[in-house]
Amino acid sequence: MDNLIIAARKFTSRLLVGTGKFASCEVMAEALESSGTEIVTVALRRVNIDNKDDDMLRAIDLKKYLLLPNTSGARDAAEAVRLARLARAATGINWVKLEVTPDPYYLLPDPVETLKAAEILVKDDFVVLPYINADPVLSRRLQDVGTATVMPLGSPIGSNQGLKTRAALEIIIEQANVPVVVDAGLGLPSHAAEAMEMGADAVLVNTAIATAKNPAQMALAFKLAVEAGRMAYNSGPAAADRRASASSPLTGFLRDEQI
Amino acid sequence: MEKLRINGVEKEFAAGRLPATLAQILEHLGVEPRAVVAEIDGRIIEREKFAETKVQKGQSIELVRFVPGG
Repeated sequence: MDNLIIAARKFTSRLLVGTGKFASCEVMAEALESSGTEIVTVALRRVNIDNKDDDMLRAIDLKKYLLLPNTSGARDAAEAVRLARLARAATGINWVKLEVTPDPYYLLPDPVETLKAAEILVKDDFVVLPYINADPVLSRRLQDVGTATVMPLGSPIGSNQGLKTRAALEIIIEQANVPVVVDAGLGLPSHAAEAMEMGADAVLVNTAIATAKNPAQMALAFKLAVEAGRMAYNSGPAAADRRASASSPLTGFLRDEQI
Repeated sequence: MEKLRINGVEKEFAAGRLPATLAQILEHLGVEPRAVVAEIDGRIIEREKFAETKVQKGQSIELVRFVPGG
């Protein structure tokens, strides 16, 4: 399959995986392995002083995966910038999944604060991957300020509803000159395949893998779906039509034509 | 008593017992410095600087680390 290129860095896998909600670090490590992913997201939080033994990084092989810290929990641009800088100080990695989600019920991203934070972070030499609503105009504004990708949502985070924003995603993909990573709401491998068939460059999946009964097997199912979807896109899908178009010859039937 | 605010919680130390550096604070709390990053009064302190970073009473310290997340 063709490579995914983000900020001049090559990736073989087009599946990004989030590390939240797994039953244990071991289950997570197994799922990451079978997903074939090369980019994994993590969050930043205060150290729990009463339970210090919560170092999940031990379970992630940093030679194998690029760590993509997110700014989850940020309610405005200033909080997101602060989290991004802390993450960079912790890892030396300047990649950040920018998310600013002030609304606790739908976790929808704030477009104004996201754009503001993106501008600051790009100027501060970050590789910025912003999580956004499926807004084609915002996507262009973000790529204009220099973000490395755009990451529009299919449906609200963790909702498993699939591509509710399909029509807007199509416009974003058509207009983008940075990779489009469909993030959030992909509940089934078929949703991921659908996004890839449409021409998305990659997808990010967390909840659907982490909360499956068998996360490692679901991770593999997503891997195969992403590969199948990309392969189909590269094959130039045939056009849809309202009417039938026979696949078998319409001549030589075993009957005499009436005149 | 000498006070520090650590991750939003006031910690009290007997006079003269305040840890001198950030590294000593982590040791006092039993926090493994690996994969931890700190902020003192909003200023980021990188891990390599923990041992040389002096701590003074009244400061607000944030200790953060990576956790699972999407």
